[in-house]
Amino acid sequence: MVQNNVSQADINWLDDPQVFRVNALPAHSDHAWYRSTNEIAANKSSYVQRLNGHCQFAYAKDPSQRVPDFYQADFDTRNWDDIQVPGLIEFAGYHKFHYINTLYPWEGHIFRRPAYTMAPTQNGAGQFSQAPDNPVGQYVKHFKLAAGLLDQTVRVRFEGVQTAMYVWLNGHFLGYAEDSFTPHEFDLTPYLTTEDNVLAVEVFNASTASFLEDQDMFRFFGIFRDVSLLAQPAAHLEDIHIQPQVATDFKGGTLTVDAKASGTLSGAKALIEVWDVSGKPIFETTTTLPAQGTLAQTTFKSIHLWDNLNAYLYHLQITVLGKGGQVLEVIPYDFGFRRIEINQDKVIILNNQRLIIKGVNRHEWNAASGRAITKADMRQDVATMRANNINAVRTCHYPDQLPWYDLCDQQGIYVMAENNLESHGTWQKLGAVEPSDNVPGSLPQWLDAVLDRAQNNYELLKNHTSILFWSLGNESYAGDDIAAMNAYYKKMDASRLVHYEGVFHRPDYKAKISDVESRMYATPAEIEAYLKDNPKKPFVLCEYMHSMGNSVGGIKAYMDLLDKYPMFQGGFIWDFIDQAIAVKDEVTGRTVLRYGGDFDDRPSDYEFSGDGLLFADRTEKPAMQEVRYYYGKY
Amino acid sequence: MGNTKALQIVYGDGTLGVTGPDCHYIFSYSRGGLESLVVSGKEWLYREPKPTFWRATTDNDRGNGFSRKSLQWLGADMFIDVAKIEVQIDERPITLPVAPINNQYGPEEFADRVQITYFYKTATVPATAVSVQYTVTATGQLRVQASYLGNADLPDLPVFGMRFVIPTLATGYEYAGLSGETYPDRLIGGKPGTYHVTGLPVTPYLVPQDCGMHMQTKWLKVIRNTTKNNADHSQVPFSLKFSQGGAPFAFSALPYTAEELENATHQEELPVPRRTVVSILGAVRSVGGIDSWGADVDPAYHIPADQDILFDFVIEGV
Repeated sequence: MVQNNVSQADINWLDDPQVFRVNALPAHSDHAWYRSTNEIAANKSSYVQRLNGHCQFAYAKDPSQRVPDFYQADFDTRNWDDIQVPGLIEFAGYHKFHYINTLYPWEGHIFRRPAYTMAPTQNGAGQFSQAPDNPVGQYVKHFKLAAGLLDQTVRVRFEGVQTAMYVWLNGHFLGYAEDSFTPHEFDLTPYLTTEDNVLAVEVFNASTASFLEDQDMFRFFGIFRDVSLLAQPAAHLEDIHIQPQVATDFKGGTLTVDAKASGTLSGAKALIEVWDVSGKPIFETTTTLPAQGTLAQTTFKSIHLWDNLNAYLYHLQITVLGKGGQVLEVIPYDFGFRRIEINQDKVIILNNQRLIIKGVNRHEWNAASGRAITKADMRQDVATMRANNINAVRTCHYPDQLPWYDLCDQQGIYVMAENNLESHGTWQKLGAVEPSDNVPGSLPQWLDAVLDRAQNNYELLKNHTSILFWSLGNESYAGDDIAAMNAYYKKMDASRLVHYEGVFHRPDYKAKISDVESRMYATPAEIEAYLKDNPKKPFVLCEYMHSMGNSVGGIKAYMDLLDKYPMFQGGFIWDFIDQAIAVKDEVTGRTVLRYGGDFDDRPSDYEFSGDGLLFADRTEKPAMQEVRYYYGKY
Repeated sequence: MGNTKALQIVYGDGTLGVTGPDCHYIFSYSRGGLESLVVSGKEWLYREPKPTFWRATTDNDRGNGFSRKSLQWLGADMFIDVAKIEVQIDERPITLPVAPINNQYGPEEFADRVQITYFYKTATVPATAVSVQYTVTATGQLRVQASYLGNADLPDLPVFGMRFVIPTLATGYEYAGLSGETYPDRLIGGKPGTYHVTGLPVTPYLVPQDCGMHMQTKWLKVIRNTTKNNADHSQVPFSLKFSQGGAPFAFSALPYTAEELENATHQEELPVPRRTVVSILGAVRSVGGIDSWGADVDPAYHIPADQDILFDFVIEGV
């Protein structure tokens, strides 16, 4: 359940799958707001104060060894270590790197079953809060509010913290959050001072969320994405929902902009303007500011469609004006017109053309910093995709950093936006399907947590033109809870398709889960067998061509199916970049790349994380020329 | 009467020496192959070239059990013995000229064509016959023909061809073929052309494995500027060219043998590069890619053991 107005932290939340969000502000669109158009041009908002950089840090090898009372405003941390934020605690040298695929990282060390999977009374008490294998990072950051944030409501935003986090300001408990890959915000306003403020964060390596975050990857923890303070002006758009709709003739379109506003709305106004790509104004209107409602709706007789070949974006700008007409905030957002649907022939069409997915799965990776990646990494990745005719990306298996979606909008990369969910360790056992302790399954105690993840993903990213599919997660089996996630997306968003592969193992849920028939690593013969046997849904390979080591032979057999079956819509190669860690070789001193098992991390799946079309240093593997050829052919 | 033939032959006690225009070859009777290949005074062989069968296990090979199923070829690759040697001079078979048969020859022996064939038995169960025939022609060119006798009781082969271990590191190589690293099921994206490669790059797969294959090659020129001859102080580049015979060949040029690659679990564990290993191949198994935990390579891209393989190529200095 979502809890608000809780004033004391409780470590037992780590053990309870029903507690995953305490006092966190509701998820909302990822728009930025500025004081002026000049600030937009300079790409710097004076409403934002970054808290990245040095941070004081203490590491505890388990919860019982944490520093007590460290969050108190007068707690002396001058002798603490220094750590860089964003960054991962493993890369800072406190905790062992560990790579493992399906099995949980505690395999062979601790016996665990997800709460409520064995019995209704099995509540999991103590299994993380009192665990010897649950290290904790305690962070303390002192800050003084920047001028642009004074005398306003101010929130702190954590864009990515793994796995479970408690936050305090000046000794006051702010809240608790899980879901490592979406932003979490907490209101600081009641406790802020104009002098020194102390933000304290306690990050636990593991909680019940760990059962939902069993992605095939190096297992990390820490504050690995940006941390910011955000001030809200007197009237502020908390959420915007941009809904460009293509007319049935594919020539015209309708734009609807909805919003939720906070603050002093009486007398406030919003100016909504739209420009085309050449800078020509094509729409302008002014409206009063409702707490929730439509700001603008207009029809265009002639529009440019957005797609991979022409990523045509219109520029929307919303200016919020105070009672006296003064500018309170300016919000820029680029959007495109495109329509994705399944036609009467059960073929996915984009803008009335058959969609062919020439995709890759992409983990966020940097060999020197793990999943704390930079904008330069993202720019390079999207350029690599364009250069090699890759037109689609699946954000396996969690939401990415926000700039990634902007880049995909701009570069015309189709996105399958996946939830942060993978629980294959609860149902794939030694190669067999054995779901006796599967979560979320149909367990009511796990339902809210996964629905919250769906909501975080949707609310945050809903305005991105590039997102054509919502994906419910990866390899989590299927049951009522994932069906409820599917229903949530269907209720919220008629403009996109929903994808989920795991229902393959539960055909009885196929009517309730996924608009597409998705498989992973199906052979060309298996795909053909499906397509010849009265297929109900269009077919997508969410993972294929396992690019581990010297591989990616035989892609032609898949591409040939594109010519034969319109309902075969292509797929996403596994995957984009090797996950390996750059270290200094102890013998030669050279920088070398290491993988699972190289850090005394056991059990491990060793080199199985090296499946990229790129090596971990972002150079292309030789197989890329084959991908470039075939992806360029379609 | 003066000699008009191009090749001078030395009927030695342990070897057959052949001198041609700017080239010199020594074929060993005891070591089972060509022991010396000198062009323009530069030695090109570290050890005798031998038939090769193995490629370092790729992740897909490991995942689908190919290396386990075909492991006999690893032994055959590392250990092979010659069963018989035959010599022809100007297309006439002669009795193998070992001592004392070679007493009949003298210091002035000439021919236009010298052919020596090594017949091997593979260290497999059952064994099968492999032969390598070297023909030195009047121009000094060395034509190599390698043949494999099919046997249905043997497992699929990883590769079949000849491996040349060259004494020092090449500075690079040129070839006419396809761009990049190609395999039979991953070559359509390769663009035909002439390419220069600097050094002997090993594709840095996380776990070292077979790499650097170039399919459909018309010719390969290996370039060096060092020898192991202590009296050779020159750094002037010199090269050796491998050209296709009846059909294009596949090759890799690496500083390592398949076995050296096979042994390492990380790139940094590979030995310090010292030599050049050129594999000239008539057959290459594909890499596959459906998954890395069981899916086999498409049968069309296997090398079935029951079919004969015969291919040839030409070596010459340039």
